[in-house]
Amino acid sequence: MSQTRSNGSERVVLNVEKLRIHYATPQGEVIAVSDISFDLYEGETLGLVGESGCGKSTTAYGILQLVQPPGYIVHGSIKVDGTEVLDLSEEELRSFRWTGLSLIPQGAMNSLNPTMRVKDQIIDVIEAHEGKQTDKKALRERIYDLFAKVGLPNRIYNMYPHELSGGMKQRVCIAMGVALHPTVVIADEATSALDVVVQRIVAQTLIQVKDEIGVSLIVIGHDMGLLAQIVDRIAVMYAGKMVEIAPVESIYAEPLHPYTKLLIDSIPSIKERKPLRITEGITHDPRNPPSGCIFRLRCPFAWEHCAEVEPLPIQVDRKHEVACHMFDEQFEERRAHAFATTANP
Amino acid sequence: MGGISLNYLVRRLLVFFLTLWVAATLIFIIPRLAPGDPIAAMVARLTYQAGFVEDSNAIIEGWKERFGLNDPVYVQYVRYMGNLVRGDLGYAMARFPSTVSELVGRALPWTIGLVGFATLIFFTVGNLFGALLAWTKTPKLVKVMIPMSMIFTSIPPLLAGLLLLYVFGFKLRIFPQNYAYPLGAQPELTLEFILSVLYHGFLPAMAIVLVTFGYWALGMRGMMVTIEGEDYMILAQAKGLKPFYVLYRYMIRNAILPQMTALAVSIGTLVGGSVLVEVIFNYNGMGTLIFTAIREQDFNLIQGTSFILIVTSALAVLIIDLCYPLIDPRISLEGK
Amino acid sequence: MAEIDSTTVVFGGTKKAGAFNRFDNPWLNWKFLTGAGILGLIAALVFLGYQFWDTSLALTASSPLNLPPFGLEYQKGKDTILVGVPEHPLGTENSGRDMLALIIVGTPRTIGVGVIAASVGMVVGILLGFLAGFIGGWMDDVIRLATDITITIPSLLVLIVIQSVLGSVDLVTMALLISLFSWATPTRYIRAQVLTMRESGYVQMARLSGVPVRDIMFKEIMPNLLPYLAASYIGNMTGAIISAVGLEVLGFGPQRIPSLGVAIFFSIEAAALLRNMWWWWGIPTVILAIVFIALLLINLGLDEIANPRLRKAS
Repeated sequence: MSQTRSNGSERVVLNVEKLRIHYATPQGEVIAVSDISFDLYEGETLGLVGESGCGKSTTAYGILQLVQPPGYIVHGSIKVDGTEVLDLSEEELRSFRWTGLSLIPQGAMNSLNPTMRVKDQIIDVIEAHEGKQTDKKALRERIYDLFAKVGLPNRIYNMYPHELSGGMKQRVCIAMGVALHPTVVIADEATSALDVVVQRIVAQTLIQVKDEIGVSLIVIGHDMGLLAQIVDRIAVMYAGKMVEIAPVESIYAEPLHPYTKLLIDSIPSIKERKPLRITEGITHDPRNPPSGCIFRLRCPFAWEHCAEVEPLPIQVDRKHEVACHMFDEQFEERRAHAFATTANP
Repeated sequence: MGGISLNYLVRRLLVFFLTLWVAATLIFIIPRLAPGDPIAAMVARLTYQAGFVEDSNAIIEGWKERFGLNDPVYVQYVRYMGNLVRGDLGYAMARFPSTVSELVGRALPWTIGLVGFATLIFFTVGNLFGALLAWTKTPKLVKVMIPMSMIFTSIPPLLAGLLLLYVFGFKLRIFPQNYAYPLGAQPELTLEFILSVLYHGFLPAMAIVLVTFGYWALGMRGMMVTIEGEDYMILAQAKGLKPFYVLYRYMIRNAILPQMTALAVSIGTLVGGSVLVEVIFNYNGMGTLIFTAIREQDFNLIQGTSFILIVTSALAVLIIDLCYPLIDPRISLEGK
Repeated sequence: MAEIDSTTVVFGGTKKAGAFNRFDNPWLNWKFLTGAGILGLIAALVFLGYQFWDTSLALTASSPLNLPPFGLEYQKGKDTILVGVPEHPLGTENSGRDMLALIIVGTPRTIGVGVIAASVGMVVGILLGFLAGFIGGWMDDVIRLATDITITIPSLLVLIVIQSVLGSVDLVTMALLISLFSWATPTRYIRAQVLTMRESGYVQMARLSGVPVRDIMFKEIMPNLLPYLAASYIGNMTGAIISAVGLEVLGFGPQRIPSLGVAIFFSIEAAALLRNMWWWWGIPTVILAIVFIALLLINLGLDEIANPRLRKAS
């Protein structure tokens, strides 16, 4: 692992507070993101993981103010460097975009405009925020510089998206994402559509560029193994809730939340074959979540209390929070007992 | 970006030349499939019109000999094709010694001008309106007004022409009732003449535009709705681009491509429609020429005029098809 | 968290639920129903007309000449003023046809041409479209080429050439002549749809599990194509009527019992515009316009039925 783990900075660049996003359907409101709160520190890389449908992408799009109808933000607060994003007017939001928050999209294959040259798609974002560029030569140098950062050859400058490979398109998206040195970059499953080898290379590129430019990064993904290599902290989501957020070392060494435990235990490794510990289980109706803890229907440790009270995030360590009753001091005995019996099944 | 792919080019040219060949052959075969002897019938009518019937058999034979109608069919066919290739369409029988080419040469520019002018307007207006209908930032009022303006969509241009001519030509007398320019005026390149041509062409063009632009607006709206769901639209929004820039550079730019294809497909219908509009307005183009030819029972003129209009349409389609790779970079990939 | 309970109303229809009609019956589309309603009304009126009006008045010299509609006056020449009479409520024309009888007789004939030509074109189109899209290979190449050529040629011009040789023909012949060209657009359209569907998962599954090609065509693909086929049929019908009216206005229609287009031809021949006899050309024109608007509404409705995305956007 060649990355530098930045534990140093304490400055919060992104603060999300009680963010809630619903999808309105004829059968009722689907709760996609349920009162999520977290901080992102300067220079940090945060991984956002969870199974598909858990709301990790919706969270990202909520932060970016890009939730597509019928989804909408019910309430919450999103502060970037102290600026409340939800209070911005339309024009303020437009100029805030990409300079404050930028996006490296999920489907890089289709995320580039098919009728615009690569250079024009990068130039348009520069000109939208910095005004018309008169010095064409400097502009080209600036884009070549971006290309170099993400490992793209200069020859693609004049090419159209259909002339590029999937990995190249993804790199173009990365170059575009950091072109304006935004405060926070959100990479939404940025590597999922690529094959495994290219995935790793692109992920490496992403981290290098991030370190070089010094932005903060949120990486959304479902591949715990890949994320472990590139992020500083991991936030685990389950059914619209954030169940645990912790530095990557501690979460792999000692996952606390039962769901995180299951996820970590399911990572395959070369040394041993492991059965998939996560099962389909009993999933609940997203319009009508169970009372108390969201995970209790699938949780091996659940007891009556879990059905009665919703667990709130408990600070267990520096930058480490978990939303599970077992880490409430009053239930310490139960935790010790539960972990002892299931440590090695 | 090495130009148009060979495959694409070959296919378009093949369709173009095959179209000409099929049209020419149809025009050759049709009169010969008809029951009876059309030449005899025509000569009979001509002589009847001329007022004497003396020696009509000799006249018929004379005509047949002159036009080689006694030769075997394949010889006639080869000669006919040869003449077409040389641009020789023969005489306008009812207006001898005028040749079909002369008459067509005088009429064709007017038709091309009329159709071209109308196409420019309905394609621009239609696509613009369609884009505005789908765009989320369009004012509510505009979104209500546009569908109301599309009430005449799907009515044939001919009927719209009748209504317009009656209201603006005969009742209000704002626009001229017929012809492409004032009778007696000499076609010349003066501002006055050009203005009078525009003035005369306005109603016929409107007859085509009013009933056509709605189709394009609806098609454009459908394309825009599809494009709004594309991934690159989300990225365009995230990039914080100006809304108007997103509209024309991301949405219209991509939605216009299938509209161009649709334009090529609709040329045939368009030309048919304008032929009839010309008849209504007595406009001095190909439509009116065909109409007079029909009345004068001048087969040669009907066939020649039709053929030239078919060639013109096919050429227009070919031009659109060949321009298409210029606006859609994905087609211009070489090889394949 | 009391808030969760108050916002998660299940199956009760929240305040936002009204914005959706995705789960309603798509055929309950107001454009489709209005268009179909107008055509139904026209059919009913024609039927009533045949019951209660003397349709032989549509023949020449059956009525007085040049009468305006009932209750109106028409200045014919310097000192002749003709007054509309109740016996001819919509007036009469130059050769003594009663306008009401004329439209009762002419409207179904005009629509009939469209129905025949569109039906023939559609049957051929379905056949060729499926052959090209499903079997592919050289068959597809040939059919595509034939379709491209037929679409490029302005059909009206070839029809003019044919009719100038045949002279005026009866409406069925005219309809069949028009259908020589009305197969191309449906063929192209159906081919494209079949190609898309052939690649779709459920058709692929059916092929892999050994379902015969014929069954795939008629049991898997056809039902999903229905709204498209219907829209294509209506579009075809519009095109056929436009061609027929065009030919009639050029003088190629049946002259004895007129259709709407033939009525317009007569009025143009007799300079009705110049003579201010607006009812002569105006009534057939307006009826045709209504028919075309009804067909357009049906087509727009069918488009929305076939394409849920458009439905949501409207």
